[in-house]
Order: sequence, then structure tokens, then C-alpha cells
Amino acid sequence: MMNGLTPELALALTLLLPGIGAVLIGAADRFSVLRDAISLLAATALSTMVLALLLNHLAGGSAQIQLTPLVQGLPIFLLTEPIGLVFATLASVLWVVITVYSIGYMRKNDEPRQTRFYICFAIAMACTMGVAFAGNLITLFLFYELLTLSTYPLVVHYETDAARHAGRVYLGVLLSTSILFLLPAIIWTWSLTGTLDFVKGGMLTGKIEGPQAALLFALYLFGTGKAALMPFHRWLPAAMAAPTPVSAFLHAVAVVKAGVFTLLKVGVYIFGTSFLSAMNVGEWMMWVSAFSLIAATIVALRKDDLKLRLAYSTIAQLAYVTLGVSLASVMGMVGGIVQLVAHAFGKITLFMCAGAIYLASGKTKISDMRGLGRVMPFTFGAFLLASLSIIGVPPTGGAWSKWFLMIGAAESGHLVMIGVWILASLLSIAYLIPLAARGFFLPLTGQEDRPQPQGQEVSLIGKPGLQEAPLWCVAPACLTAALSVLIYFAGPAIAGFVLPALRP
Amino acid sequence: MIRQHLAILQVMLPMLCAPLCVFARRPVIAWLIATAATLFALAGSFILFAQALNAGVISYHLGGWAPPWGIEFRLDAANSFVLIIVSLVGAVCMIYGRDSIPREIKSSDQPLFYTMMMLCFSGMLGVTSTGDAFNLFVFLEIFSLSSYVLVAMGAGSDRRALTAAFTYLLLGTIGATFFVIGLGFIYVLTGTLNMADIAVRIAGMSGSGTLHVGFAFIIVGIGLKLAIFPLHLWLPNAYTHAPSVVTALLAGTSTKVALYALLRMLYTVFSPDLPFEALILHYLFLPLGLTAVFVASIIALFQSDVKRLLAWSSIAQSGYFLLGVSFANIGGLTATLVHMFNHAIMKSSLFLAVGCVVYRTGSCSVASFRGLGQKMPWTMSAFVIGGLSMIGVPATVGFVSKWYLVLAALERGWWPVAFAIVAGSLLALFYFGRVIEAAYLQPSPENSAVTEAPVSMLAPLWALTISCLALGINSELTVSTARAAAEALLAPHAGLPAHMGP
Amino acid sequence: MKHHLILLMAAKLMIPPILLFALYVQFHGDYGPGGGFQAGVIFASAFILYGLVFGLDELRRVAPLSAVTKLMAAGWGLYIGVGYAGVATGGMFLDYGRLSSDPIAGQHTGIFLVELGVGMAVASTMLAIYQCFAAHQSRELTDDEW
Repeated sequence: MMNGLTPELALALTLLLPGIGAVLIGAADRFSVLRDAISLLAATALSTMVLALLLNHLAGGSAQIQLTPLVQGLPIFLLTEPIGLVFATLASVLWVVITVYSIGYMRKNDEPRQTRFYICFAIAMACTMGVAFAGNLITLFLFYELLTLSTYPLVVHYETDAARHAGRVYLGVLLSTSILFLLPAIIWTWSLTGTLDFVKGGMLTGKIEGPQAALLFALYLFGTGKAALMPFHRWLPAAMAAPTPVSAFLHAVAVVKAGVFTLLKVGVYIFGTSFLSAMNVGEWMMWVSAFSLIAATIVALRKDDLKLRLAYSTIAQLAYVTLGVSLASVMGMVGGIVQLVAHAFGKITLFMCAGAIYLASGKTKISDMRGLGRVMPFTFGAFLLASLSIIGVPPTGGAWSKWFLMIGAAESGHLVMIGVWILASLLSIAYLIPLAARGFFLPLTGQEDRPQPQGQEVSLIGKPGLQEAPLWCVAPACLTAALSVLIYFAGPAIAGFVLPALRP
Repeated sequence: MIRQHLAILQVMLPMLCAPLCVFARRPVIAWLIATAATLFALAGSFILFAQALNAGVISYHLGGWAPPWGIEFRLDAANSFVLIIVSLVGAVCMIYGRDSIPREIKSSDQPLFYTMMMLCFSGMLGVTSTGDAFNLFVFLEIFSLSSYVLVAMGAGSDRRALTAAFTYLLLGTIGATFFVIGLGFIYVLTGTLNMADIAVRIAGMSGSGTLHVGFAFIIVGIGLKLAIFPLHLWLPNAYTHAPSVVTALLAGTSTKVALYALLRMLYTVFSPDLPFEALILHYLFLPLGLTAVFVASIIALFQSDVKRLLAWSSIAQSGYFLLGVSFANIGGLTATLVHMFNHAIMKSSLFLAVGCVVYRTGSCSVASFRGLGQKMPWTMSAFVIGGLSMIGVPATVGFVSKWYLVLAALERGWWPVAFAIVAGSLLALFYFGRVIEAAYLQPSPENSAVTEAPVSMLAPLWALTISCLALGINSELTVSTARAAAEALLAPHAGLPAHMGP
Repeated sequence: MKHHLILLMAAKLMIPPILLFALYVQFHGDYGPGGGFQAGVIFASAFILYGLVFGLDELRRVAPLSAVTKLMAAGWGLYIGVGYAGVATGGMFLDYGRLSSDPIAGQHTGIFLVELGVGMAVASTMLAIYQCFAAHQSRELTDDEW
């Protein structure tokens, strides 16, 4: 790479830049413009670094950093590999977008404790990078836990009783699952194999078999509480107590994706797809995931609070990935990775739109939102596009992930799972589309349409004059909505990028 | 010359400083003497540890009488490791005490307080250093008697310290009596008091009833000092009502020293290969350890006083020690020793942080922590880090402890135990969560003028906090040291002179 | 106090022999039964008798608590000092055979000093305990304090 920027330095900077950003943000506490500028700068610099690493990888290079041993024989180890790069790129690019959005949102809403908000955000970002580039399981676990802790202040941001309760559920579920299940699973793996490095093709072959392997797999799946597999999903709706930018980014992208990313890494590099399918390890977990998928979708249908409905939708969408991993086929894993990307763009758009609606109209309940599309066409337009991506309608990114996942199901012979996905997609139409449709086609609450005389119909859209949220909030949402359409065209490229790591 | 006599000097220098403190006219001079002695002991313990690790066992013959006839100070990797723990926590507490002690003890009593600190300190070092079982009893009593007085000195601010000290005195004395009775049985059987010598002589006597009875008395005696569940009843009150510095010192060292004595008895004098000991380890220590972890943690959940909460947490932690001991393998022993060191660091730092809060607010109820996150940011962030370490979050020493304990349980194939260990540490999340939530998420009471604690208290506190993080990120040092110590404990005959060999 | 004349006279007569006997037990400890512990207690008992008969204030005048405390520390210090003397003369800690050129004489000197230290410490501790208890203004602990 050029200008003395070695890949190792770039890798180190991905963790250091958000950290330095956090310190500078704290220092600029009193100058709100400077503070916001630093946030934006840190985000941009980080995504530049990650893109540099991505280009470096495409050019055939790689980078790794080895630090002190956390416990004997297990160093803190950072490494660039395809799946991690995909996740890091996704997270760092979306950080820039969400920072723009946060600035608009936090200022318009005149939120308290903004400096702490940006500091924690930056630290959470550093932890996310640590998760993405972790070269062994213990490093992943380290940053996974730190990510939980650094997002806790964001969940309790408002410091009300409700926020405190949400914080308790958040920390309680995430730390409990990781300490109770994930940590023993990691130590078990370590005592079986004597290594926790991510090895291509997995390393458990011949070390464990039968029900024990299934148990270990279940420990990993339930232990990764961030993947919100039922019954350990309660933290995600609770986390909606945070300001919307946090829900949009951390709890729709960084944190939950760190969860499913961990599962993908474990599935690909610890178990290995061939071992998983040969031992039929995921048999039980497949059904648990399928249940989680359908159940969360049904719950989402019944929620009237927009953020909560989106949260349950996230739980369902995460179960897509868990199911993909449990299927133990290469295409299932690919589908999981593409889902990670497509869902991130779709869901962040939906949350940003929810925040924009709240900013412009103060409404959080879906039943109150009819007709709003007429005054907020851009927001609702973005919402509609993103909904299509979540449902999986071409030409949006979500179409590819469903496609690969279904191929994966066919590959592994679990055809019934295809049915599950189809059912879930149909149901997601039911909980997402009405919102946009009612927004556009019904009149605003309190302004009932009078029957118009024949021949004098007026356009339903744009009539009462625009009442959009601030530009800083709407523009990012439109951008990500557009990107989630673009992902449709990038889908095969992403699959092609990660396939070499998956094929043994 | 100092180097040659270091093994004895580092016990006897604090012992000499004890009477000197009585003659100090001003409290600050007594403080200086005491602090200098602890720092000397700290430096000495590092030198001794290096020596024991590199050049083998150090044997010092008191009065020039060779063992097994005379008293011997016998330092191997295990007890010189414990020396470091004791003198490190002691030194940190003494430095911290400069501002904290005048606040809690009236100035006419302060020289006597430092005298007692020195006696307690040298007693603990003596228990750790000696190779003679009866001498161990003597030092155990020196340190116990002085710690009763230290606890009672909390009466200056809270007269409940007197009843707490009295309970501690009664149970501690019963413990000491049991220990010495047990020792009597062993002496009747073997005719020797040198621990290495006893180990050689009882090798073929595993069927002897005298041995069984002696073993039982010794274990119960030490168990009282260590506050093994259900012999823990003296501990919560003693820790709660003692002056802050004393609590930090006792929590960091006294149970560790008692644990060392237990390990020495279980692994060096007796051996897990003896059938009756194997039974005790498996059928008594394992269930008691598990019960302690859960019962004490659950009781801690309901405490409204933070010092008492931490005291119950200490009892829960002694459950982890018992678990590690009951594994009876090198992994379990290493885990116990690692946890011993780590727990000393984190629990002392937590008690020191609470001491800072007491210094400023005069109370340590959970309610008095409200809003301190903003008012005392350094104190509270140290408390948070200590709490995270107790929970076992990675990059803290607590994680390293949990890791090795779980690993040792898995090595034995004891699945449920491994699960119980992590489940127990999770309970810590709930009881620390309450305090931390109060500190950061609840507004401070109206018109409270609390400010940050003085630097002289924050510096020692943060020294421990930083080592808590640093040794959590790089545990190579602690673990390799603990492993060497575990090996030393399991090799009672190493470095014995020919006439004492098996 | 006048009407306790017999008591007063008896005490005055008894105290010097008690002190003398204490010193005998102390210094004969090398050869026969006795030693610092017993001697210290006997020595202190003379003072306690004095305190019982003449009152606590009088005892405090003869043996103030501050002086007693210092004596306690001095006895303790003497013992440790003998230990250090062994190191200072090139031997091991407590190696008091080296206090004289003849090891046997050295042993005598050493144990003599050690016992003296013990005697001082024990006597003053007994006195201190008596004074503290006697001076105690009894106050019922309230339920709250238990």
C-alpha cells in the first residue's frame, strides 16, 4: 500500500481511530460543532482505513497483529479475512451515514448528554472493529463483551426508570448468555483442540462427535445472545429505549450483526461446514431457529409501536442467518453473509425513517401514522424500498440473501426450510407494507378525504405541503434505501468474495 | 548480609516496627515507620520469590538449630508467591491509610493502630514463611489476635465494631484451638513438627485413626480462619464494621494466608493421594464450595450496605477456592493460586474504593452511592472495573481466574461444576449492577457537596485497578508463577536435606 | 478507707514479698520452674492488689497507663532485639549463643534477656487489662448496636 500505510498499521488504526475519536470527543465536550465534526471525521477516517484493507485484500495481501496473551497460549490476535472484511466495511460505512443522521437527530431533538452519546458510540465502533477482525475466538469474545458494556450507557441514555429497566434486561441477557453458554463453549473448544485460531475448514473434526457436538453447537448458538435467538431475544426490544440512532445502527447493525457474525465465524472456522453436515450437528438448532423466525414474525405483526415492530422483525431476520448456519451447507453460509449485508442496509433505513417520522410528527404508534406519507414522501419512499429489501423482492439486496439461503436449504436436503422462509417472507409483507401503504393512500388522521366529484380527483401525494424531518435525517435514509437496491447488483460479487474462505 | 537474612528479616522487621510505633509521638511518624516496613517487605518478597524460583528452596534455621529439631523458615515458589500478595496489598493499604486512618480513628489511638497493623502484617508474613507447623500456629495467632483489635478499632465511628470483633475473637479462638489440637494428634503420631518432616513420616500411616482425627481438627481450625462456608459467620460483621483500611487489608490478605495454610496442609503435609483426604476433597469441599458460591452470592444480592455486600461476595469467592482445591490436580491448584492473587487485587481495590466513598460521604449504604458517578468519577470508575473483574469480563483478572477454574473443572470432566462456576460469577453481575446503577443512573441527593477523594487515596486505589487490568490483558506472569507455585506445593520433598528425606 | 485498716495494713505488708517472689520466679526461671510468663503475672498481681485496696486513682498515679503501654512495647522490643543481636553478631536470628564468647554463657545471657522481655510485657499487659476493665463505665449496648 502507498504512503507508508502498511496493512498492519491500517489494521491497528481501525481499532485506534474510533478510540482516539472518543478521547477527542470527550475533550471537545463544550464545543458542540467541533465535537460533531470530530465524530464525523473519525467515522470517515475509519471507513477509509477499512476500504484500504479491503483493497489490500483484493490485491492478494493480508494483515495480522498479535498482542499479549489474554490467558496462556491465547494472544489477542487480529487478522483480515473475507467475512470479517465484509462485516467491517459494512459497519464502518454505515457509521458515517448514521453519524450524519445522529447529528441531525440529536440536535433537532435537543437531547441531553450528547457528548457521552458520541463517546460511547465511538467506543462501540472500536469494539465492533475488534469483533470483525478477531483472528481467534478469545479475541472475538473479548471485543464481544466490551461491545455489550460500551453500548449499555447508550441504552440507559435517558436515565428514566424505563431506561434503567431496559438497561437491566439488556445487560442481564447479553452478559448472562455469553458468560453462561459462550464462555464454557469456548473453554470446551480450547480443552478439546488446544487452539482457538480460526482455521479454514474448522478444527473439530475427529475431536468430538454425536450429541456432544450438537450440545457444543447449541451452546454457541444460545451463547451468542446478540444473535437474539429465542428465548434470549428480550434484550433487543428492551434496547429500543435508546435514542433512535442507537437503535438504527447499533441494535440493527453493529451489535446484532456482531452476534450473527460470531455464529458465522464459529460455523465456518471452528466447526467447518463439512464437519457440521457430516455430523448433522445443527439438526435441533435448525428447528429452534425456524421457530424463532416464525414466532418473532408473528409477534412483529401484533406490535403497534413502530420501533418495537422493527425490533421483532430484526429478531426474525437474524434467525434467517442462524438457520443458514444450522443448515451446514456452503450456500447457507453465503446466504447468511449476504443477509448480514442486505438486512443491515434495509433495517438501518427503516429505523432512520422511524426516527424521522418521530422527529417530524412526534408519532411512534403505527396506527397514528396513516396519511403521513403524503407529507413525508421521501421518508416513506425510503421506508417502502427498505421494506421491499427486508421482504426480499427483487431488485433489492434482500432477494439475493433469500435466494442463497434457499439454495443452501436445498443443498442440505431440508426442503421444509424453504417453506419456512416463504411463509416468513409472506408474513413480513403483512407487517411492513401496510405501514407504507396506509401512509400514502389513507388521509391524515383528522383530515378525512371527502368524496370528490367525478372527474375532479386530485393527486393523493404531496397535496398538503411537505412536513419532512431535517435534511440531515432524511438524506441518510434515502441514501441507504438507494444502496439497498444497489446491493442487488452487488450480491453475486459479495458471494464470490467470501466463497474461497468457505470452500474447504 | 541483608540478603542472607532476608527470609527472616522481612517477617521480623515489621515485628520490630510494632513496638517502635508505640513510642512514636506523632501519628504521622508511626505511619512512616509502618509504611517503610511494608515497602521493605514488598521489595524483600520480590527478591525472595526470584531466588526461590531460580535457585530453589530457601531454608533459614532460626537460632542456628537445624531442622527438624529447630524452627525452619522454608520458602519455595508457593509461599514466596503468597508473600508477594500479602506485602503488595499491605503496602498499598498503608499508603492509602495516610488520609483514611485519621478520619476513622482518633489520633491518640493511631500509634497503637499502626502497632497492630504491623503485628498483623508480620503475623501473616510469618504464617506464610514458616516451615514449622507449630510456629505456623504461633504466627496465625499473632495475626489473628491483632486483627481482632483492628476490627474493634472501628468502634470509633461505629460501636457495632465491638460486637463484631467479639464474635470474630470467639470463632477465631475456637479455630486456633482446633488447629492446635489437631497438631497435637499429629505430633503424638510422628514426634515432629517440621511440616516437610511430617509429610515424610505419615506417608505409610494412612490407616491411622489418630491421623484422621488430627487431620479433621486441623481442617476445621483453618476453615474457621478462612471463613469456609458454613464457618463464615464472623466475617460479614467484621468486614462491615472495621475501619476501611483494615477491611481492605483483611479481605486482600487474611483469607489468602489462611488459604495458603490450608493448601500447605492438604498438599504438602498431607496428600490428596491419602484415601481419607481424597474423600474429604470430593464429598465435603466440592459441595461446600458450590453451596458457598450460590448461597453467599444470593445473600449478597439483598444487602443494602456495600461493605457487607462485598463481605458476602468474599465468602462466595472462598467457595471458588474450595472448588479449585477439590479438583486435586495441578490445573485446579493453579487456578486456585491464580484466583488467590487476582481476588486479592480486585477485592482490595473494591474495598479501597468503598473507603474513598466512606471518606467523603461518611456512609457506605447503597443509597449513599447515588449520583457518585459524576461526583467521584475516579473512585467510581475504579469500583466499576473492580466489579467487572468480579463478574469475570475479559481483559480483567477476574476473567483469567474464571478461565482456569472452568478449564480445571473440564479437565476433571466435571461438567455441572464448570457450569456452576460461570453461573456463580453471573450472580456478581446482579449485586454489583445494583451499586453501579445507583452510582451512575440515580441523581445524587439534594445539596450534597461530595467531591472526589484525595490523590493520596486515589493513587493506591488506581495502582491496584491498573494492575487488575494489566494482569488481565497479559496473564502470562501470574499464571506461570502460579503454576510454579502449584508444582512446589505438590512436591513436598524437594530440596530436603538427606537426613530428612523419605 | 480508715475502717479498712486491717486490709490496708495487710496489703502493705504483702505487696513487697509478692514483688520479691515475682523477681525470684523471673530470675530463677533459667534453672527451675518459673520464667517470664509466671513472674509477670505475679508481679502485676501485686499492683492489682494495690489498686484494689487503695483505689484506681492511686494505682494510676503509681503506674500510669501510658507508661504501662510503653513498658509493654519495651518488653516486646527487648525480645526482638535479642533476636536481632544474633544476626548482628554474625549468626542466625535468635542465635543468642553468640552473645558471649562462650556459647553456653551466651545462651544464658540470651534466655535471661528474652525472659526479662517476656516478664515486662506480661506484667504490663496484666496491669493494662486490669486498669481498662476497672475504668470501664458500664453502659448497656442498645438493641440497635447489637
